[in-house]
Amino acid sequence: MRSAEGRGRTLDEAVDAALIELGETRRNVDVKVVREAPDETVVEVVVIDPSAPASEASAAPANGKAETVRALLEGLLKHMGVRATVQVRAGSDPITLDVSGRDLGALIGWRGETLRALQSVTNVMVGKHLNEGERVIVDVERYRQRREHTVREIALRAARQVKMTGDAITLDAMQAFERRAIHLALEGDPEVMSSSIGEEPERRVVVGPRKPSEQ
Amino acid sequence: MPGRSAAERIRKAIAVVNSAADGAGDEEITPTEIAEAIRDCLELPEIASIPNVRKYLGEALDATSDGMPADFVAMTLYAALGALQEGHSLN
Repeated sequence: MRSAEGRGRTLDEAVDAALIELGETRRNVDVKVVREAPDETVVEVVVIDPSAPASEASAAPANGKAETVRALLEGLLKHMGVRATVQVRAGSDPITLDVSGRDLGALIGWRGETLRALQSVTNVMVGKHLNEGERVIVDVERYRQRREHTVREIALRAARQVKMTGDAITLDAMQAFERRAIHLALEGDPEVMSSSIGEEPERRVVVGPRKPSEQ
Repeated sequence: MPGRSAAERIRKAIAVVNSAADGAGDEEITPTEIAEAIRDCLELPEIASIPNVRKYLGEALDATSDGMPADFVAMTLYAALGALQEGHSLN
């Protein structure tokens, strides 16, 4: 797995420095903030290997449940006339199925709506193979993973701005999994806090300074 | 545009159900809230003229009150949304 450390005055500069070293674009990497100070930000950028699920899945011991679920989704896609391969993401909990192929934009749909519907149908289909409360996550061309990375970056940028100005920032309306990614990204930060306001589907995350009593 | 408001209401109900299924971690969605969002859709007079929309919404409401998994309710609401869009494209 290729990775590089990036340093810069801002998060963007640090990520760009690492991307130049790796010769990659933001679409293909995972960014982890190592240190964030007023004068310097250090990040670790790891390249997401698109072939990783296949090689890791085949190397991993066979998980009967995951394989059953994978085969069911593959069958569903076949009936839909979609030519795609389905792989179980290695080490994922809950079970995450990666769908890959050519021209799968229609499977993602507007703001991921079709992908979300596909996940609902898949969970209904495989429900009897799963334990109580267990669910399957479906990702197409790593759309969901990329969205999570993007919103995490937005969250970190918003947190930095809140620390500088002391004012709360309201982000754009997001889906539940995106809001959760933001809450998780900021939960360990002692200086900022996140909460959600509004009604679905216009529910938004507000990032603001943490009150002394909440620290 | 009447079709748009119906689609918006169904999308809102789907978002509430998905929020319960995905668990954003910042609130607890109750079945009552889901049922309310679906009833809001059923109140729209315009859905009466489009085949199957009311039927799917009714099934989603029944599934909610029967305690069916959120994914099942979501799937039924997606079916209602699909029927609505199909109905408008035929008209």
